[in-house]
Amino acid sequence: MGGMHGFGRIEVEPDEPVFHADWEKRVFGAAMLAMGAGVANIDRFRHAIERLDPVEYLSAGYYGRWLGAFELLVREFRENGEQLESAEPGSIRSVVAPARFAPGDVVRARNLQPAGHTRLPGYARGKLGSIARVYPGFVLPDTNAHLRGENPQRVYAVRFDARELFGSGAEANACVHVDLFESYLEPGDG
Amino acid sequence: MADHDPASRKNALRIEALENLLAEKGLLAPAAVDAIIERYEQEIGPLNGAHVVARAWTDPAYKRRLLDDGTAAVAELGFGGPQGEHLVVVENGPRVHNVVVCTLCSCYPWPVLGLPPAWYKSPAYRSRVVREPRVVLREMGLEIDESVEIRVWDSSAEVRYLVLPERPAAAANLDEAALADWVTRDAMIGVGKPQAPQP
Amino acid sequence: MSADFLSSDGSGAPPRSNGELVFAEPWESRAFGVAAALRDRGLFDWDEFRACLIAQIALWEKQHPPDEPFSYYGCWQRALVELLAQKGVCSARELEVREHALASRPAGHDHAQGHDHDQDHDHDP
Repeated sequence: MGGMHGFGRIEVEPDEPVFHADWEKRVFGAAMLAMGAGVANIDRFRHAIERLDPVEYLSAGYYGRWLGAFELLVREFRENGEQLESAEPGSIRSVVAPARFAPGDVVRARNLQPAGHTRLPGYARGKLGSIARVYPGFVLPDTNAHLRGENPQRVYAVRFDARELFGSGAEANACVHVDLFESYLEPGDG
Repeated sequence: MADHDPASRKNALRIEALENLLAEKGLLAPAAVDAIIERYEQEIGPLNGAHVVARAWTDPAYKRRLLDDGTAAVAELGFGGPQGEHLVVVENGPRVHNVVVCTLCSCYPWPVLGLPPAWYKSPAYRSRVVREPRVVLREMGLEIDESVEIRVWDSSAEVRYLVLPERPAAAANLDEAALADWVTRDAMIGVGKPQAPQP
Repeated sequence: MSADFLSSDGSGAPPRSNGELVFAEPWESRAFGVAAALRDRGLFDWDEFRACLIAQIALWEKQHPPDEPFSYYGCWQRALVELLAQKGVCSARELEVREHALASRPAGHDHAQGHDHDQDHDHDP
């Protein structure tokens, strides 16, 4: 909506109540329950609002748009025969592809800079380690909020020797295990 | 509220405003917030983890299940919930000592330990325990010989770690209930060892 | 490095050890509880919140005034406000307006949550 013209003064209602009518409250409550039940997450709702017919968008009002979005999503679920998203907490999804790495493999953490948000701690970037454990797939947090869909990847506990991480002055007989997504790793060079 | 510093007062005002607004929008109920706070202040805490450890010390089959699938095993005792959906238990031994941190943001296995103490969340702990664990543990009162490997676990993804400490020799003849009293929160993070209950 | 960081009295007795507070101040408990309640309602998952928290902690560590002590729940609260603004749930502006209104209350005003605005409150234009 940013940058569009010609819609007149914005009418601000003094002491505007949060809900103008009971139906608005119920729609909002239903949307919240739907999200809690895993029908959709809030990003999907917001994206659905943006996909409403422009006339409907402008005339429906704030809660009308939620209702419209809700209806749109329900329709799409039916048409696509889509499975309801699992609302499981902790974002554990089963990954179908075989694990790229196995316990004992030597790997190197890539030198990714966190432009967005990544789960690669700075001290591990570019460092050589070995796979200690293979965990099931998780949602890669960098893409969860986007509608490209979740991007489940395996997570590995990677063991790094203290001296590899912090130099020859670091403690002997100490190591750090860092939990890293598969896309953060590449095969180590011997 | 008179002795709160300015930053605290500002934070207090902000969260009150936020809670007000969210309640008006129908997005939360203050009573629900109260209930959550009470649960984490009164019910969910390291006693849970102590029961898990005491069970593992006295029941070898349970211990195997715990090490194999921490989430399922603690659920057998009725514990679970947010930040415990993927729990991994790491076992201390004569040659290995484990210690847990989350360098990025202080993640912690809430269902078995409750909310983390202030020092765990401090920039000092988060940055130093990965770099010089033996020194940090010594400062915290725990001496680990150089012949014992220290394994630091950085909970950078969704896994939450719990340390299974060694059962003290002095506690050899105690039953499960008594053993639970020996299991300290700090032992389950890895910055302390189990000890006899204080009188 | 303060002595607080080093103290580890770690008794495992009642859920809380030896008088150690879960929350140092009431506002911290509200910040925690509000985030947890919103997550229960499905407004976000912990993953998304955590991403904001990681960013706020990193930001503080990089840019804080030299004398300012670290406040975990200060970072937590900033993460929550940021995430809710990103989600379009609560804008920075409306939060500011509400803070102002609350700050203008006469002393001794009832601090119970969810109280109504009195007529004599000023709202910023």
